[in-house]
Amino acid sequence: MYTSVLLSDRRTFLKKMAVLSAMTAAATMFPGILFAEEQERGLPKGGNLDWKKAPCRFCGVGCGVLVGVENGKAVAVKGDPKSPVNKGLCCVKGYHSVLSMYGKDRLTQPLVKKQGKYVKTSMKEALDLIAEKMQTTIKDYGKDAVSIYGSGQWTIPDGYVASKLFKGCIGTNNVEANARLCMASAVTGFLTSFGADEPMGCYEDIDHADVFVLWGNNMAEMHPVLFSRLLDQRLKRGVKIIDLATRTTRTSMAADKVILFKPQTDLAIANAICYEIIKNGWVNKSFIERHCNFSKGATKMGYGLKDKYKFKDRPAKISFEEYKAFLEDYTPKKVAQISGVSVKDIKYMAAYYGDPNKKVMSLWCMGMNQHTRGTWMNNLVYNIHLLTGKIAAPGNSPFSLTGQPSACGTVREVGTLTHKLPHGVVMNKKHREHAAHIWQVPVENISPKPSYHTVEMFRALDRGDIRFMWIQVTNPMVTMPKLKRYRDATKKEGRFIVVSDIYPTPTTDIADVILPSAMWIEREGMYGNSERRTQYFEQMVQPPGEAMSDTWQLIEVAKRMGFEKQFSYKEETHIEEIYAEYRRHHEGEKHAMAPLNVLKSEPGAQWPYVNGKSTQWRFNAQYDPACDNGKEFHFYGKPDGKAVIWQRPYEPAPEEPDNEFDFWLCTGRVVEHWHTGSMTRRISVLHQAMPHAYVEFHPSDAKRMQIQTGDSVKLTTRRGSIKLPASVNERGVPVKGHVFVPFFDENVLINDLTLDAFCPISKQPDYKKCAVKVEKV
Amino acid sequence: MKRVGIVSLLIVLLLSFIMVWISSYRTALEGAYIPLEKQKEEIAIPSEKGVFERAMFALDYAKMPIDTDHQRSLKSYYQNRAYYGAPPSISHPVADERNMGGMACLKCHENGGYVEKYQAYTPVTPHPEKVNCRQCHVVQKTEGVFKATQFKKERFSKVGTNKAIRTSPPVIPHSIELRENCLACHAGPAAPKEIRVSHPERVNCRQCHVFNNKELSGTKSFVRE
Repeated sequence: MYTSVLLSDRRTFLKKMAVLSAMTAAATMFPGILFAEEQERGLPKGGNLDWKKAPCRFCGVGCGVLVGVENGKAVAVKGDPKSPVNKGLCCVKGYHSVLSMYGKDRLTQPLVKKQGKYVKTSMKEALDLIAEKMQTTIKDYGKDAVSIYGSGQWTIPDGYVASKLFKGCIGTNNVEANARLCMASAVTGFLTSFGADEPMGCYEDIDHADVFVLWGNNMAEMHPVLFSRLLDQRLKRGVKIIDLATRTTRTSMAADKVILFKPQTDLAIANAICYEIIKNGWVNKSFIERHCNFSKGATKMGYGLKDKYKFKDRPAKISFEEYKAFLEDYTPKKVAQISGVSVKDIKYMAAYYGDPNKKVMSLWCMGMNQHTRGTWMNNLVYNIHLLTGKIAAPGNSPFSLTGQPSACGTVREVGTLTHKLPHGVVMNKKHREHAAHIWQVPVENISPKPSYHTVEMFRALDRGDIRFMWIQVTNPMVTMPKLKRYRDATKKEGRFIVVSDIYPTPTTDIADVILPSAMWIEREGMYGNSERRTQYFEQMVQPPGEAMSDTWQLIEVAKRMGFEKQFSYKEETHIEEIYAEYRRHHEGEKHAMAPLNVLKSEPGAQWPYVNGKSTQWRFNAQYDPACDNGKEFHFYGKPDGKAVIWQRPYEPAPEEPDNEFDFWLCTGRVVEHWHTGSMTRRISVLHQAMPHAYVEFHPSDAKRMQIQTGDSVKLTTRRGSIKLPASVNERGVPVKGHVFVPFFDENVLINDLTLDAFCPISKQPDYKKCAVKVEKV
Repeated sequence: MKRVGIVSLLIVLLLSFIMVWISSYRTALEGAYIPLEKQKEEIAIPSEKGVFERAMFALDYAKMPIDTDHQRSLKSYYQNRAYYGAPPSISHPVADERNMGGMACLKCHENGGYVEKYQAYTPVTPHPEKVNCRQCHVVQKTEGVFKATQFKKERFSKVGTNKAIRTSPPVIPHSIELRENCLACHAGPAAPKEIRVSHPERVNCRQCHVFNNKELSGTKSFVRE
């Protein structure tokens, strides 16, 4: 059992409290450890709490939490002092996370739509119906007419069985997940630059870096626990935090320097930084000679706005001289014109990146990923780090943050995207054979052609190419861009939608069958966070009513469809069996996953887990046993062991403000709510702190339009319009001519307005930029 | 010929005189003109800007031993406030009646410190940028009243009751207008002992502590049917 040392040894600890000086020293060195103890003071003496460890339910940071269970109920949460991620600290969502299981309207029984009304049925009946519906759909319309749409909040076993059932057994690549909407550009960025997904560094980089550049990333609200680690370092070591953003936020308030730029021009800024690095001779010549290639790709790719849009990049090697010539278009002076960032500020950033005595960490999340040139933008930041050789070493780290607890663990590592397999891609014959062997299916089952990415999958549903969709752990009827089209698609005749969730949501509203799911610690599972850390949680409480884990729902349906052999897991041990089977896909020094007993006893482990050790810095021979080229670094994801510096130009956004739609619209999150709020809005503390969505204005726009906080404002884009209250000078301030709306509020569906343009390489939509008209009503 | 030369020379001289005169006139005009400087846009988010303000002292606060003999309590904190959230009155005699801000009150109240005379620590102001202190804070020169009042002090929120679950961080039960800077009142030797934070080094306070009194603006509370 995993209990806090401090709790079991409370009395001795209290004695120690007397030794004030020692304590204060501890407080400054390990603030978290003292902090968790502090929380325990609130507990009644002699309480019967049983503390068990789990990763937090919410974001991709993956904080370790300890959940206090009493009489079969989860009643308390504290940060896990042993977790190297959060060192005992959580954010407001984490501390209240257990409340998310106890909403009054929890789904406890399957509901089947019959003549327009939902009728309660037994689990058996509902699963029978789903299996039957899938089989008839395959018979009538072919296997590519059934699909599953999952989530970065899927546990690893959930995603694994989904992939095995659809790709291995049924034989369709119609497996997608909402992480397409949040991490796809990061993935393609990694693959194009390094040939291997996920960050080379880890959170410990924060303890070594001297300068942090946040690329369009409001970390104070979105990754608060990591941001607290930055702030901690600033107190102790005086590090610099630079907020490079399009909107003034809480992060800006904490940053040492705020640099505001025009939307989409981050592409130009990154190139200008590279220009300055080369011009001033800050290039790490030996590093790029030994470890880098230069390439260019196709340009003017379009934005995927039309159905069945196709794009294939045409990479071609170039020389350093050609790359240098290309950068002539991105002198600070020219870029200042495009981006609105002063020449001085561009040089300021370049100087930090270029200074050989400063360790720099770049951090980003949705600002760069939800971008119609998201892959390019990821490439460009890697360019900066590669040119200066500031990569894959403690403190020198381009770090792509994730949004969901298992966007990495499940979607990226298990590979629940149309082109992916648990190891490798469907296009590669060897990878298909490897997967088919472990899955015990004929290799011909696995289609070599990727089918639909998320936006196209919903378009296919609209067109009728897809007839059956199973949606698990996600709420696309709040989160899809250009939502109305896809909402209408689900309601069309002859479409069958199954939704597994824990509460009624706008997505369950359009379902034909609603399955009640067991969430988080009501079942057993694993998540994988942003720093390649896999974390295990046991079942701590009973799920309500007939609620069942998503893993077991899929297994039950698979068995009903005749795949007993592939899904012969025992109910008591299925998670263990699935994980053991999954590990076989990743065997080898480059991606080995830690065994389950390690995950159970430790606060997670980072893959590649080799010789009983987590790998903190990949591609660095000092830390990564998979490096075998005899050099300091080895980018072994690419056949020649070299990373790629990409020539990627600035291209404008697909829709920019004009005379009629004269504002930029940006969407995002707030610290209180998790994504669409289906869990956090049922937590009273969080709902009361942030009860509804709003539209933020710059004070001078508000003054000109005579808009005050609370006034009703109508927003209109070419896709639709909504009314919502204004917010002036509250949580955040957009620049002039911009508005910002958070997307958590299902009562104010901002995604009815957003554009479904996406990055042609990653197919990830851009939720941050479209043109909107603003009227006071 | 000679005459033409002299005339043209005079014309050239006249023209150049006119040119010089015009240009010097223009320069003079320019000198008199004070160009309007484009105002530098200032970013200010009233509800957010102060949160991190005293963050640089956070480690000092964390290391500071607690002087248990001279702690303030919530009781005395509320004693010199007319109601919950009212500006405190000045509880000590003031020598200098005319100076303001940095010349007077802020000398002590910007960063605090121990005052032998009052056997107490100076409370730190959460809004040192508002220098006309005496606009809100007044001295109490007498204990008597002009006429008794029927006004009753509203009950202030108690400590230790405003959290959702046993181990969760308490919510912020008060408005933060003019008090955006949490550490000013919740850390340091002058912080009332009941509300002194155990972890001042965690400077992004509102990562964990949220409001419980957010007003619904322009929209009804949404209830899912």
